[in-house]
Amino acid sequence: MINAVLVFNNTGQPRLTKFYTQLDTQTQQSLIAQIYRLVAQRPASACNFLPLPPLLSRGASSSAAHGPSDAPTQITYRTYATLSFIMISTSTESPLALIDLIQVFVEALDRMFENVCELDLIFGYETMHAVLGEMIVGGVVVETNIEKIVAGVRSQEGSLGKRKAVQAASTSLGRGALPGLGGWR
Amino acid sequence: MSVQFLPNLFEKSLYDLIKGLRTHKGGEDEFIQACLRECKVEIKTQDMDKKATALLKLIYLEMFGYDMSWASFHVLEVMSSAKYLPKRVGYLGAVQSFRPDTEVLMLATNLLKKDIASASIPNMSLPLITLPHFSTPSLAMSVLSDILSRLSHSNPVVRKKTIVCLYRLALVYPEALKLGWPKIKDRLMDDEEDSSVTSAAINVVCELGWRRPHDFLPLAPRFFELLVDSGNNWMAIKIIKLFATLTPLEPRLTRKLLRPLTNIIQTTSAMSLLYECINGIIQGGILDGEDGLQERDEVASLCVGKLRGMIVMDADPNLKYVALLALNRIVTTHPELVAMQQDVIMDCLDDADISIRLQALDLAAGMVASDTLQSVVNRLVDQLRLAPSSTSRPSSSHNPEDPDDDKRIPDQGSPAISAVLPSDYRIGVLHRVLDMCSHNNYSEIVDFEWYVGILVQLVGLLPPSESEDHWMQSHPDPEATTHSGTDVAFRIGSEIRNLAVRVRGVRLETTRAAESLILIDNRSTLFPAGSNLGDGVLGPVAWVVGEFADYLSSPSRCLQSLIDMSHVTLPARTLSLFLQAIPKVLVQVSRDGQQGAPSWRSEISLLLARVVEFLDALAAHPDLDVQERAIEFLEILRLAAEAMQSGGEDMPFLLASVIPSLFTGLELNPVASTAQKKVVLPDSLRLDEAFNDNLPTLLHDRDNKSLESSDPHILQDFYYVPDRTLLSHKPSHDVTPVDAPLNPSYQNFPDVGDVERRRVERRERFRDDPFYIAPSDASSGGSTPFHEILNTSNGDGLDIDSIPIVDLKLGDEASGPPGQAPRRDRRSRPRKMEVAGDETFGAEESSGGDATFGTAGRSTGQNRSLLQVDSSGLGQLSFTGNDRAQSQLSADEGETEMIKAMQRVEEVRLRMQRASERIELDGTPAEGTLVKKKKKKKKDGAESAGKSGPKKKKKGSATSPTG
Repeated sequence: MINAVLVFNNTGQPRLTKFYTQLDTQTQQSLIAQIYRLVAQRPASACNFLPLPPLLSRGASSSAAHGPSDAPTQITYRTYATLSFIMISTSTESPLALIDLIQVFVEALDRMFENVCELDLIFGYETMHAVLGEMIVGGVVVETNIEKIVAGVRSQEGSLGKRKAVQAASTSLGRGALPGLGGWR
Repeated sequence: MSVQFLPNLFEKSLYDLIKGLRTHKGGEDEFIQACLRECKVEIKTQDMDKKATALLKLIYLEMFGYDMSWASFHVLEVMSSAKYLPKRVGYLGAVQSFRPDTEVLMLATNLLKKDIASASIPNMSLPLITLPHFSTPSLAMSVLSDILSRLSHSNPVVRKKTIVCLYRLALVYPEALKLGWPKIKDRLMDDEEDSSVTSAAINVVCELGWRRPHDFLPLAPRFFELLVDSGNNWMAIKIIKLFATLTPLEPRLTRKLLRPLTNIIQTTSAMSLLYECINGIIQGGILDGEDGLQERDEVASLCVGKLRGMIVMDADPNLKYVALLALNRIVTTHPELVAMQQDVIMDCLDDADISIRLQALDLAAGMVASDTLQSVVNRLVDQLRLAPSSTSRPSSSHNPEDPDDDKRIPDQGSPAISAVLPSDYRIGVLHRVLDMCSHNNYSEIVDFEWYVGILVQLVGLLPPSESEDHWMQSHPDPEATTHSGTDVAFRIGSEIRNLAVRVRGVRLETTRAAESLILIDNRSTLFPAGSNLGDGVLGPVAWVVGEFADYLSSPSRCLQSLIDMSHVTLPARTLSLFLQAIPKVLVQVSRDGQQGAPSWRSEISLLLARVVEFLDALAAHPDLDVQERAIEFLEILRLAAEAMQSGGEDMPFLLASVIPSLFTGLELNPVASTAQKKVVLPDSLRLDEAFNDNLPTLLHDRDNKSLESSDPHILQDFYYVPDRTLLSHKPSHDVTPVDAPLNPSYQNFPDVGDVERRRVERRERFRDDPFYIAPSDASSGGSTPFHEILNTSNGDGLDIDSIPIVDLKLGDEASGPPGQAPRRDRRSRPRKMEVAGDETFGAEESSGGDATFGTAGRSTGQNRSLLQVDSSGLGQLSFTGNDRAQSQLSADEGETEMIKAMQRVEEVRLRMQRASERIELDGTPAEGTLVKKKKKKKKDGAESAGKSGPKKKKKGSATSPTG
């Protein structure tokens, strides 16, 4: 299952935090800080998998080698323009599928905000939560179809229509920005 | 800016907050505190929109770490709003801030039940996606029936969310699954079901699958059907993952799966599916069948071939990484298959990406054999040596012993190597190198002299501690420090010590290496400059130079380094090892001195004086162990120094024979850490039983008597007359092999005729042993009154030989541990070394012991990982519905529990109400930092909110309830 979904920008400011297991606020913050530090060190050419930060590596030591367990063992991330999307999951999730899932998330946001950028997500973070809520419930993926996700969020927000925080989307999030991601699904 | 914001009042106000945050750069915290104070006021208003706005702001600030648990009651209020959008804010607040121990949860039950039953789908979805975040057993129990009814809702969106919600409820309340599973199964089996719902059900089954694979075996045909026909890659991945847990239970599945999986591997264009197929084949144990199926070999080579392709051909680092991950799983069962891919794996060791490197490193560690070990280790060491470290360090890690050192630098200048290596990677590499080399008691090492050289090099490669310090500052967690660089340093030192003890053949080289590390002049070249990171090495290394002092090339230089005054500040653990080494080396110096130059006398006097000075500095050390050792040796050496001054031509007796005898004796062999635990307690040993119940009175009487008689020899007798009742510490080496039949506990009771003979033998044997006190007169038999009492009261039958002694047979073990030493013949083997294994007896069961510890820890939840969801409760659950009666029973129980819960709800409600009234009164809730003011600012905000979007606001509020 997916244990947490995080979004933060390239200065480490959180833009979305969703923990599917409850954690006190203090620990959440230090976990975010640790993961940000790991992401920040990585060059753009590096792979999309992070080693476990100290907070997580304590309990999960060798469990990855011996089949599935409850402990989170994988951290998948993807960076789009100024934002990094992180998913922390157990070994029952496929690492490559998680990269695709992040892509689906971002594409769905892009549909909701039309050429989404960081500012859209800051002001529309409630919508961002709604999009995520259509995709993942309690850490289990319930939908991967972008049409259905968007339709689900639209049905919640009624005829509010398109929403755009800034017109000049200079820092728009590119799609498929990383090479070799196209053909995985 | 032509803005088209969400036309709600609260949206606007959040906008203010965010804008304010941006304009208050630097003074953000003050601004946030002010906002929090406002929120605290706003959230108490009766206006639901205002409340929701305030809550939305709190949720936003919570993301940055500002606690909002104090607002949980208000969250509940907003959740109960009639309009959809405020309600959604309330539920979001609950997701982000409620914990299973949040008190208002009690009050939420009815609201949740009502919303689950709501007619509007968005309304209904809210509790479904929110419940997983704070479900408690009692909450799960009370909403279960409502949730179950939603499983047959007409809308697939509701059904899929319900399935997942049910799964999460089952984690805290397993009964939920017992009731829900038949329905979930119906959804799964239904061919007409919406694909999203099937997919969600498969995802849930995949989570459950590894806990209870047996329960899902009957469904295998359906899974198979879905895998082959669905054409949904997301789902196919999950099904394959599920099958990987099922195949070990049902070998026939393997046969069935082999063809479709091969088919997918050969045809699919989706790399994620391809990868999961390979992974499923590996994890499902499809490769490890015994029946020699020809297809199986084909599949194995197909998989490995594909993985190789992922590493070699694709420039995509992700594929490289996951391929290595998969190979890492294969390597435990099929090392030979992986070893064939060694070339590409070795290239990954130099990859620019640290994640890939670490995976390759794990893999390399898993597959090294004696013929590849040296090249792999040399490669890694070169990598560390040549990479610039994160702080610029002078290239002092140069190994002077390596002549082609400078030659190698230019041709390794590839971009990958010049990348800066983070220190945790460096530490990882060091650990891995040590793991690889010490694997299976050094069975892979061919050339031990090379290994000693590597160890000395590794000391110089210890990463600088700077990043470690940074980490420590922000996280003063004691556990985190165990991973630090000093820990690796200690490990390197321990390796040197291990080699010196275990591998007799290179003891000379090892001791010399240890000596070179100890010598203070070498510190600047062999250790990382400008840090005390290498200090961990010094402790074990000091022990080596002390214990094997006769191999030292220059004992006096070594001693001078040991007693260098800069060492006074070393950690206590290291210092106590130093203290033990100093007199040993000193003895060696004096021994050399006797045959040496005529000036030995003054030299040794001088050394003694300096040693005394060093020990004197430690005599008041705060660590008691260090202090004690320092003082003990200080006193002895002071005596020696006096003797030197007053003595004649020869070395004083104290220095020539008394002090050396402290350290000579039996050679120390490696003993397994578990050996002590295995010593069987003799049956007749009763530690809790009193010797004699009226001992105190007897003793008292005797004391009086003996004082009267005032025997001058009483003390002497006490010490010198053999105490026949005490346990003898026979050195186990000397135990003669027992020829009498052994009883199961390996204890041996010789007959009485033997006893006397043995006793005499023992006296003979120990006559000259300094560790045993020889009887002053064996026949006198004069005992102290104390002993007489014991003897008379316990009967004379007690004697030492009747105390059972476990036959350790250590001598045999040490001479030749079977299969431990590298035996295989290799053409270029430099020297064949004996490696002494750990000495122990009985079956080796250390792993078993660890396992029990592990399970114990797990069951108490001690070492649970952060973020971990505990699904162990499902392990005991049974899906088979044969226990109707029981569920009936539990329904009754549920009823009574429900009543109790309702009572508690009422109590808490009253308490909360009172608490909130109190807050209203004095206006200072929990935090205390709150000041009641700032009304004005809020008003401004409301005004500006009103200005920019009044029209849309109306529209928004009108549309929201219908959603």
